Amino acid sequence: MSAAAEQVNKVAQLRERIRALEAAPRQRLSVVRTGVAAFDALLPQGGLPLGQAVELWGEAATGRTSLALRAVASAQRAGRLCAWVDGPAELYPPTAEALGVDLRALLMVRPRAPGQLAWTAQQLARSGAFACVVLDVTHTGARLGLQEGKKLADAAVSSGTLLILLTPRDAPADGMLRLGTTASGAGFTVEVLRSRGGGVNRSVEIPWEALWEKGAPMGLEARAPDAPPPAGPEGLLEVGYRHRGASAARSRACLGIRGQRPGRDLRIPSGLQGALSG
Amino acid sequence: MRIAYLHLPRFPLQRRIWETPALHGAPVVLWEESRGQKRVVFASAASARAGCAPGLTVTAAAALVPQLQAFPLDPAAEGAALGSLGEALMAVAPGFQPSGLEGLWLDGSAAALCGGERGLCDRIEEIARGHGYRGRAVVASDLFTARAVARHGAPGGEPVVARQESAERLQALPLRALAEQAPAAAQALAALGLTTLGEAAALPPGAVVARLGAEGLRAQRLCRGEDGTLFVPAELPEVLEEALSLDWPAESSEPLLFGLKTLFDRVCARLAGRGRAAVRLQLSLKLDPQGEKSLPLLLARPSAVPKLLLDLARHRLADLTLENPVGGLRVRVEESCEDRGRQMALGDSRRQDEALEVVISRLQSALGEDALFSGEVLRSHRPEAAYRRGAFHPPRMSAGELGDSGARLFSAPPSRQAEKAKVEEAPEPGVGVSVVDRPPRLFPKPCSLEAEVGPSGQIRAARLLGKRRRATAVAGPERLCGEWWESEAYRRDYYRVHFEGLGPVWIFRDAEDGRFYLQGMFD
Repeated sequence: MSAAAEQVNKVAQLRERIRALEAAPRQRLSVVRTGVAAFDALLPQGGLPLGQAVELWGEAATGRTSLALRAVASAQRAGRLCAWVDGPAELYPPTAEALGVDLRALLMVRPRAPGQLAWTAQQLARSGAFACVVLDVTHTGARLGLQEGKKLADAAVSSGTLLILLTPRDAPADGMLRLGTTASGAGFTVEVLRSRGGGVNRSVEIPWEALWEKGAPMGLEARAPDAPPPAGPEGLLEVGYRHRGASAARSRACLGIRGQRPGRDLRIPSGLQGALSG
Repeated sequence: MRIAYLHLPRFPLQRRIWETPALHGAPVVLWEESRGQKRVVFASAASARAGCAPGLTVTAAAALVPQLQAFPLDPAAEGAALGSLGEALMAVAPGFQPSGLEGLWLDGSAAALCGGERGLCDRIEEIARGHGYRGRAVVASDLFTARAVARHGAPGGEPVVARQESAERLQALPLRALAEQAPAAAQALAALGLTTLGEAAALPPGAVVARLGAEGLRAQRLCRGEDGTLFVPAELPEVLEEALSLDWPAESSEPLLFGLKTLFDRVCARLAGRGRAAVRLQLSLKLDPQGEKSLPLLLARPSAVPKLLLDLARHRLADLTLENPVGGLRVRVEESCEDRGRQMALGDSRRQDEALEVVISRLQSALGEDALFSGEVLRSHRPEAAYRRGAFHPPRMSAGELGDSGARLFSAPPSRQAEKAKVEEAPEPGVGVSVVDRPPRLFPKPCSLEAEVGPSGQIRAARLLGKRRRATAVAGPERLCGEWWESEAYRRDYYRVHFEGLGPVWIFRDAEDGRFYLQGMFD
């Protein structure tokens, strides 16, 4: 086959492919799956529904932020932009990145006044430029009133945006889908408290490892507080300028918290004296 | 080298009428002061019909046309406007050289990109029309021929002068075409009774030198299409700026937006000519009689689309209250970057870009510029210093309506160079690799913790969220230390602790004071 004929053949194939793509039904994003199987299965639509205000309501350290970050990462993987209205200014971008969030495609907004939080989220959701908008009002003292909640829900519905509200236990909002989160030992429990799609009062317990795939930090196993620290310097994981390379071996001999040699440089805190002498 | 010439008859007058549409069809002249007298330099068609011609005093012109409107000519401003048009034309020509106040020479070497030299002429005229100017473009082999044919050639004639046809095309042109380049020789030749360039070209060169000297010989060479003048491209100004004075101070947004549209059209055309896109612009409103208000326009995605910029400005102006009416506008490009264009995928829409810019602009004006940012991870071991605020410039995501499959289908595979750069950018061991184990919530300032410590130095309980909570599991320590060369050195032992009724929290024991601090929560 000549080169020209081959080229014509390729062009015809490409045309056919484009025709097939155009004729195929559009794959519109309808739900955002967090990737935590138990959590997604709990939700009536199998994920967080777009075009709704979803409220994650619970105490601090009950997995709400990680779930929201996973939803953001999931929406970004589908080629969408996301925004995070960070009322308490506590979102930690390095962790977000580690959870798969593309920081370049995540607009972070930190309004100074708590009163601006709902308005900001409403503007972002209404614009339609973001697939997922997270409004975090934890630790801000702000409480979303009925009117604000309705405006937020309307903005989400009109633009088809997923609006995630992170609300504290003492200040619930008016999300169409409210999920309560509670810490419970080795994991946390998520309960559907309000839902238009059914499944109210269903709950699921999710282990912490499911949120942070790697589990315990730095490969260390969780242990009871009264258990003795691991013998030898291996139990101390050192990350820092002074502890890399050849100097690390020397520094590992320093068991004191201030890097001092026991009994020589500095007085060791009383709490550690027993452990060191033991 | 092939040269294009764009002739813009009475350019300053065209510009004045474009900026003030009420002048269209009215008798208008532009004057310049010469030897203490205001003399007409450019006259509109309506005033010319009544007898106003360049060189006439304004008083005499006003006597001829009582309704005459006379404005002073500002050559610097006209030159700048012509330069702006030249920059816009750089989209089709690599360089331009101004020719007085009524024309531009352009480098015609890129004519092939416009479908040939005729296509180049059409494109040049089209761009000029887009800016509100009427003009005629001609391509020739030398500067003089291109200009003479464009200015004095028969209207509707062939716009392309072939390489060996210069003398032939110049032959029938009037001798006054020479007056602009060699006025003395043109005057002398006219005194001899010559009327066309062809007659001047036919004279014996020896006789021309004997009578008119070297200047006469040069003039004759021009008439024969043998102009040796070099094309010298104009230098582009470093600051890209456009200004407009409003005839009447504006008290509502409508006239402002009308003026802004003109400015943004010009700025974007200049940007397009340079192959750049605006990242940050400064819009200044000059108030009448005094005062100035500046508005920054920051774009999330670099753009050279005037409609988008106008939408942004409209939103910024909507919330603005000014003390005085606006007498002038100025747009300056503060920051620009290379415009790589946009490859759209099936189902992509430009409306999303507009929505993004508008909402960001609205939030910036309400919350302040520093309230919106995008996180940038830094190579630092100190947790609270491991990121900084950066400008939000999201990458293009061509998902369109096809979702993830569309994005994958239309995204080019990473090049070998990009993969190599990715490997080179990977953090050094120990930096950034463990961030997955950092909490999603990190307090801006670590909070002091009332902790109960066991005999082995391990934390047993702490007072958190208003109550004493027993630690049920502890992982750590992970020692982070550094910056001993700075005044604020740190040395901390971090623990991940599960407290009763709470999920894991991230605390550290500071080596300085031996106390525990709460730094974050694994929420």
